Amino acid sequence: MLFNSIDFAIFLPIVFFLYWFVTNKNLKLQNLLIVVASYLFYGWWDWRFLFLILFSTIVDYSVGMALNTESNQTKRKVLLWTSILVNLGFLGFFKYYNFFLENFVTAFSFFGNPINTQGLNIILPVGISFYTFQTLSYTIDIYKRKLTATKDFIAFSAFVSFFPQLVAGPIERATHLLPQFYKRRKFDYALAVDGMRQILWGLFKKVVIADNCAEFANQIFNNSADMNGSTLVLGAIFFTFQIYGDFSGYSDIAIGTSRLFGFDLMQNFNFPYFSRDIAEFWRRWHISLSTWFRDYLYIPLGGSRGGTWMKVRNTFIIFIVSGFWHGANWTFIVWGALNAIYFLPLLLTNNNRNNLETVAKGKLFPSLKELSFMLLTFGLTVFAWIFFRAENISHAFNYISEILSISLFEIPKFESPRDARVALITIILTCIFVLIEWLGREGQYAIENIMIKKPKIVRWTFYTLIICFISLYMKSNESPFIYFQF
Amino acid sequence: MKKFIIQFFFFSLFSFITYIAVIFIIGSIIPSEFTPNMSYPIGSKGNLYTRLNEVKSVKNTDVLFVGSSHAIRSFNTFDIKTMGINCFNLGTKSGTPIQVLTLLKRYLNQLNPEILVFEVYPDTFETDGVEAALHLLANDKIDKYSFEMTFKSKNIKLYNTLVYGIISDILKLNDSHKEDKVRGNDTYFSGGYVERTNSYWTPRKIKSKHIEFKEKQLLAFIEIIELLKSKKIKPLLVFAPVSPSLYESYINIDYFDSVMNSYASYYNFNKTLKLNDSLHFYDNNHMNQRGVDEFTPKIIEILLKEKTRTHNNVYKKLPK
Repeated sequence: MLFNSIDFAIFLPIVFFLYWFVTNKNLKLQNLLIVVASYLFYGWWDWRFLFLILFSTIVDYSVGMALNTESNQTKRKVLLWTSILVNLGFLGFFKYYNFFLENFVTAFSFFGNPINTQGLNIILPVGISFYTFQTLSYTIDIYKRKLTATKDFIAFSAFVSFFPQLVAGPIERATHLLPQFYKRRKFDYALAVDGMRQILWGLFKKVVIADNCAEFANQIFNNSADMNGSTLVLGAIFFTFQIYGDFSGYSDIAIGTSRLFGFDLMQNFNFPYFSRDIAEFWRRWHISLSTWFRDYLYIPLGGSRGGTWMKVRNTFIIFIVSGFWHGANWTFIVWGALNAIYFLPLLLTNNNRNNLETVAKGKLFPSLKELSFMLLTFGLTVFAWIFFRAENISHAFNYISEILSISLFEIPKFESPRDARVALITIILTCIFVLIEWLGREGQYAIENIMIKKPKIVRWTFYTLIICFISLYMKSNESPFIYFQF
Repeated sequence: MKKFIIQFFFFSLFSFITYIAVIFIIGSIIPSEFTPNMSYPIGSKGNLYTRLNEVKSVKNTDVLFVGSSHAIRSFNTFDIKTMGINCFNLGTKSGTPIQVLTLLKRYLNQLNPEILVFEVYPDTFETDGVEAALHLLANDKIDKYSFEMTFKSKNIKLYNTLVYGIISDILKLNDSHKEDKVRGNDTYFSGGYVERTNSYWTPRKIKSKHIEFKEKQLLAFIEIIELLKSKKIKPLLVFAPVSPSLYESYINIDYFDSVMNSYASYYNFNKTLKLNDSLHFYDNNHMNQRGVDEFTPKIIEILLKEKTRTHNNVYKKLPK
């Protein structure tokens, strides 16, 4: 089920009603409702993959219970590796099987031993990368004795399958989310209103900004061989806002929906395009994944301890793995490596933690220096997104080489005057969006604090105007979120 | 919780009223080119506004023509009337079965035809019908059938246009609209036909295409046939001539013909009437007057043949 669908608009109020009016007296029943609703939410797409979630849930629940009672370190290790292998095994099969097969065949063919083999026609289960990492955090934390395993199977199932964040995150830690299923939830008016506000803003980001930018990003990337340099730059910028609007929009709706049910999810995006360097960008982009890799990969590898080469090696590993997590394509790996290259100079000169505060905090405008650094970081990010979006590496290089040609100074081309007009409207909408994001950058999401102190009538008018913008500029078809494919 | 529900209710109410006001203001002052989900194409090509104004005073016809712009520009009601057949052309620009059904529900009882000629064109069965629905919302009255049509299409653009149309109807903003009968190369004739002056057109190659029916269009089409049966009106399905270059681009035209044949008497004039791209058409889709002059005797021939099957072997008399 998509957040931006009529189905979800019907589903959400029904679950909300049952949750607060029918099952509210019994915590177990409330958790069971979450499980049923979550399975229905996921099964709406393809019910067959529910068995995969159920299997992961049973394995990790059992491993957790066994780890709780087991004191023998070797046996504990075996248990942990069972969980890791099962979870990563599924992920590896569904997501990476064909990639490895193709590269294996290519490598052998290169050395003069061609192999005839055929890839499998595998459907990637939506959200597998997200819930796999979430359940892995559970067993790893129990292994590290940071967490005690739960005996409550229903609560654990609800934690694994919690529908707002099941298919595209935020990837929650068991230490943060699981205990919330043990406690009785009380309806909190302020939290629910805040949730509604965040859902509204997330929806705006997705259906107005991301979907409109997507039309041109797709058009330009799919026909890049016929485009001039300036159009290609525009295409990369459109994609930059598409992916941000799409993914952070999803996160906003997920967090907002959770709030309606009395849950607190972690912030996943913190205005990354206002970052002054790449290190700051990575503290603000897909926070739940970056911190997951930091805690469960970077630090166990030794982190930034152990000399310069160790730092370089670990940085490359974490960025490349992060790129590979997005998909089985060399473009994602290059995207990750490129970000590592951006990041290294900051790390090696100990400047990676310079910008911890929000830019121009308490001020309306940034300084010229801040603005320059923001634009530079934004430019580097846009450049890296070209690899992320390209079909393959040669597509990315052709795209970039055309940008670096003299055609960069030509006027952008569109397929028709209608397209040029719609592109202009999209640029104007994106500028309005960036302005609102800038004004609200000190909140958890842009409109959290905007207008909050104004009279109710002003606030309501502001929210209604956002609804009008959605209605007037959304795309008519329900388009899926980009991160579903990861 | 009580506070949340009350506040939510009042916000929804406030939002609904403000939304309607904003849609009306935007629809009135911002050109539709800048509001992709809001369009009110009153007085568009094909004189739909004039046609729908005229139909309100027409009663008891012998033959009613419905369909898309092909119907508007193919069925020369002016010439057909001279043969003693009282007829009206209720075609709509890009009209799909969903729009035809809406118009029939609205006007069929009043027009009370003996025969309904439904111009069937494959492309209208493949689209969602949004463009035609917009034209209908903007150029005709808003009633329960407008709502039915809008909800069938499930498109935000239609919802917004419906909201604007309701206000426009209430404030009678359309009443003052004037539509010229002669617009460029087009001339509107009383009875709903639009004539295009002769010109020479150079055809362009069209990519081959496969006809696939959209379920909701096919369902609307079946509903039309059922409606006509229930009122004992004879349906004639007509695939009016399109340019040979367009006709030849359909890969599975036999499939389309077989579906049409299974529902009612069907005439595919593209098989029986040989016309020339450049001489008889002004674009891929539509005939010019030379083409229509070739086509009209053929359609009259069918209508006169059908006449023998109508009760008392006569059509109703033309009003004096």
